[in-house]
Amino acid sequence: MAKAVPSLSARSARAGLARVLTIGLFVIFVLVPLYWVVITSIKPSSDYLTTPPVWFPAKPTIVHYTAALFSYRGLQGLTNSLIIASAATVLSTLMGTMMAYSLARFNTGGRHLSLWVLSQRFLPPVAIVLPIFLLFRTWGLYDTLTGLILAYTFMTLPLSVWMMFAYFQQLPKSLEEAAWVDGLSRWQTFWMVATPLAAPGVAAAAVFVFIAVWTEFFFALILTSRHAFTLPTIFRAFLGFQGAQYGEACALATTSLAPSIVLGMLVQRHLVRGLTLGAIRG
Amino acid sequence: MVAPAVLIILAFSIYPLLFSLWVAFVNYDFQIPGHAFVGLQNFQQVIEDPLAWSSLGLTIALSITVVVIEFVLGLALALAMVKTFRGRGIVMSILIIPLFISPVIVGQSWALFLQRPFGPADYLLSQLLGRQIQISWVGEVPWVYFSIALADVWQWTPFMFVILLAGLAAVPPHLYEAAELDGVGAIQTFLYVTMPQLASVMLLAVTLRLLDAVKLFDVIFMLTGGGPGTSTYTTSFYLYQIGFQQFHLSIATAGSWLFLILLSAVIIALVRRLLKAETA
Repeated sequence: MAKAVPSLSARSARAGLARVLTIGLFVIFVLVPLYWVVITSIKPSSDYLTTPPVWFPAKPTIVHYTAALFSYRGLQGLTNSLIIASAATVLSTLMGTMMAYSLARFNTGGRHLSLWVLSQRFLPPVAIVLPIFLLFRTWGLYDTLTGLILAYTFMTLPLSVWMMFAYFQQLPKSLEEAAWVDGLSRWQTFWMVATPLAAPGVAAAAVFVFIAVWTEFFFALILTSRHAFTLPTIFRAFLGFQGAQYGEACALATTSLAPSIVLGMLVQRHLVRGLTLGAIRG
Repeated sequence: MVAPAVLIILAFSIYPLLFSLWVAFVNYDFQIPGHAFVGLQNFQQVIEDPLAWSSLGLTIALSITVVVIEFVLGLALALAMVKTFRGRGIVMSILIIPLFISPVIVGQSWALFLQRPFGPADYLLSQLLGRQIQISWVGEVPWVYFSIALADVWQWTPFMFVILLAGLAAVPPHLYEAAELDGVGAIQTFLYVTMPQLASVMLLAVTLRLLDAVKLFDVIFMLTGGGPGTSTYTTSFYLYQIGFQQFHLSIATAGSWLFLILLSAVIIALVRRLLKAETA
């Protein structure tokens, strides 16, 4: 049986519909659970168990936020997370930029050093966290801000090194060469010529490092307990939660996810480079 | 200039790894002073534990399943998003949101969304299917596997999508123009023009994702706690339980080494590939 060949416009209309459906369904898939968490964080407790569920609370409340921040030590977790993430970001970006510059311009250590730094990114955390835990106990770094800052600096170094490495490789060398000719040392060239040129790249790398630390859970779970705990680790309190804490869990989740999403939007342009450690420019 | 970074990596990776090699061969216990050398006994304990094997099996099965789903969905999304349209910027921003959320919160959010009686999932499904649905999403096999995969797919499909989209955008347009002039159909164009151009990017995206997928821990921790029973133990979760709940530190360390050795072949291959891209 001869089937009618669809005309070109009918075919492209169908393709268009498929595109809209694919995109539309996925947008809904992404937004629905997020919306549920955010909206539940401002629902009064009486709205929890209704059928149908309440999608727009008539009387929004902030009571869950105050409870989450003050009764569940959310405020301290938030403060710790801010301190740890900021300090680790500064350290990791600083060291990472220096190392990346050296690798990109002077090929320090050759392929072996590069290979070695990069493979750190793929070590399963469970393989190194145990010895770090034991060593931290002997060094007195267990459950301290300093300990976690150092651990996160280590954890994010491959990311900052490789993002900056890709960035420096794209920068033309000519300005730096001119600086050498003018008698600047390597250090001066790095600080006064190369780094200012690479500033947008440094900023993007810093944001990625911050997000990576802000959202990390496993190291914080194992290396902290009562003092240096970070925001994500507080969710332990809600394990096997009873209904009464439903709103608190949502409020805390919202508090934690909002800053990293906002930051993420700022570096959207560099996302592909961040995700592939610079292998794809995007 | 490399010194500070190298020192940090030495202190936090090589030194701990060497230290852990020693821990794996002794009986390390907080209570018992002096750590007696026990040879391969710790490794033997892991190898003889059926739970070690079943968690490894689940890790492999789950990783492959989610990576395949994420790849297919990510590719479909990338193909749909490659042409510009009005509002593309906003849609793009929404699609990448999951990448910036802590996996713990992703696990927690899905628990809040799925779990009865507070989550709306059963209600929504009932409405959609027109009959009463009651599913124990985080407490019953096989639904727990579905829930874990769902959370992972939600978080990481955007990863595939973003990378594949970058790959698609890099295909030289003249190839498509040539195909169109020759009257090649859409499917053939995809198979013979897009696919070969995209192959290396696909391989990179899949390997990167796979290496992260095998570490699956956070979502399990929040969503199922390994349960019911031990049915959702992944390797990371298993080693965590042995090491930090039962405090068999030496056994967990030996297990970590075995896991690391299993992964190292894939890690080395990927790193080589990444380096080639850098120097190209």
